[in-house]
Amino acid sequence: MRGREGAKGRSVAATVGVWLVLGIMLVYVLGPLVFMVTASLMPASEVTRIPYRWIPNTFYWQNFWQAIRGNDGRFYFVRNMVNSLFVATAITLTTVVLSTVTGYGLAKFTFRGRKAIMLLIVATMMIPFQVIMIPLYIITTNMGMQNSYAGLIVPFLVNAFGVFLMRQHLLTFPDEILDAARIDGASEVQILWRVVFPSSWPAIATLAVLTFRTQWDNLMWPLLIAQSREMQTIPLYITLFAEEKFTDEGAMMATAVLASLPMVVLFLGLSRYFVGGARLFSAQKG
Amino acid sequence: MLSCEGDELRKNAHTRGICERRGRWGWAFVLPSLVFFGLFSIYPVLNALYLSFFQKHLLSTAPPKFIGLGNYVYLFHSPAFWNSLRATAIFTGGAFSLLVGLSLILAVFITSRRKFQRFLQLAFFSPAVVSTVVAAAIWLLIFDPRGIANQLVNTIAGTPGVDHNWLAAPAMLQLSTILVYVWKYVGYFTIIFITGIGSIPRSLFEAARVDGASVWQTFWKITFPLLKPTTLLVSVMAMIQCLRTFSTQYFFSQAGSPRAPIDVITLNVYYTAIRNFQIGRASALSLILFAIMLLLSWLQFRLARSEEVSYL
Repeated sequence: MRGREGAKGRSVAATVGVWLVLGIMLVYVLGPLVFMVTASLMPASEVTRIPYRWIPNTFYWQNFWQAIRGNDGRFYFVRNMVNSLFVATAITLTTVVLSTVTGYGLAKFTFRGRKAIMLLIVATMMIPFQVIMIPLYIITTNMGMQNSYAGLIVPFLVNAFGVFLMRQHLLTFPDEILDAARIDGASEVQILWRVVFPSSWPAIATLAVLTFRTQWDNLMWPLLIAQSREMQTIPLYITLFAEEKFTDEGAMMATAVLASLPMVVLFLGLSRYFVGGARLFSAQKG
Repeated sequence: MLSCEGDELRKNAHTRGICERRGRWGWAFVLPSLVFFGLFSIYPVLNALYLSFFQKHLLSTAPPKFIGLGNYVYLFHSPAFWNSLRATAIFTGGAFSLLVGLSLILAVFITSRRKFQRFLQLAFFSPAVVSTVVAAAIWLLIFDPRGIANQLVNTIAGTPGVDHNWLAAPAMLQLSTILVYVWKYVGYFTIIFITGIGSIPRSLFEAARVDGASVWQTFWKITFPLLKPTTLLVSVMAMIQCLRTFSTQYFFSQAGSPRAPIDVITLNVYYTAIRNFQIGRASALSLILFAIMLLLSWLQFRLARSEEVSYL
């Protein structure tokens, strides 16, 4: 009897301990997000008040107008937001198409040099962007793509990780379906377009979300290539906004909220594929 | 029908024709990406290697001057290089161990709950939704002298009105960048661990429970050993990701923090190449970073290979 009560006491203590750790971590993780949202609705004087009031007195919507307008009133925020959306979408589309096509070629066809190509692509995955960034800068500048959409997009048309991911996914694709389509007289391109693409949707969505997110986050490359404010993207915009000495804190958080909206929408709509990126990856190697 | 794998099909004249035609399609599908990788990955790496042996000013039209290992020699004698190496080691060491440790603990704790599993997963993952720059902007205000970081620490420590210089004192600044980074990525690795735990056969946990094993014993005797492959994956990914950090450090240094304590190699590459125009030297620096990444990944694989896992 006593042993059993002891065990029960231990398990209660364990539950409390677990929730204590989870609770502290929840505060650490969610606190800053709540801060961003509440501060975006406060005038600057309230954001920096001690102690911080987690609930705004009144909703100070002017912050959002200030964020959209910018400190100089030239609406670069809107322009840069459009740039980010356009660049990230374009890169996502090309990445998804090229990764699937290449992954399909590597997974379902036998040809001389296939193993070498696979090895080359896996090796490419290891290269940190900082290594190739300077040569890429020289190439794009020589091609006259500096400060243009082409310059922002071209170096990222497809990436090795995407090809690897789609190849791993398509390895499990049943050959019988492909052969059935061939017997029905479908050409290889038709099979790819009508059979492989539609039935790879979960992997494609995962890759798409991953690519879009990476590009939405990209600061390094636009920093090099987009000189004029018209061509800059959102990460650069926020960096510049924070640099300006007279930026007020409320407006800065309003900018942060607005800049996060596309990701929030994507996350709420496709959270399965957001999390799926991590899952798929661990399933490959684990 | 025809898989075209293996040699028998190739020997038969009829099937060989089909296989060769099929193989040409394979090439056609692979070629566009291959050309792209050649142009935008392989050539740049070789070019970076080439540049690292030259002295070249980014904006000058003068041809690059060959200086052999001059850039590397310069770097090994430059205090700024060693400072960068130290800053990178501190950041990666701190962020890496916190990321791996915390995400493992969180994954084990979350999977031990009967309720709220999905909520907890999404909650911990949610910072990954905001971009790195937005994350840095939020934390910039939190670390403000009047911000909630000071308020929280002062409330707990009972030291009202003390400024802990989160963004000014070197050690605090390093800690701050680590906190921002861990904040953003801990949920991502937690989910990888949760997937790993999910792949361990449930019967093992039940057997342990029937045998009267404590939670503690279950973790050390079952969960942790069987999670080895996942732990390896997480540590390699986390390590490489930490070494690649750039945005947080760039943002804080732009917003007025001293650069030296957080001048990680990536930031140093950027300043050397784009602000000081020394692209030969910057290439050498970036290749050193690459070498460090390869070395550390290889080490981790070596360490992990010593014990293979089976579910027995």
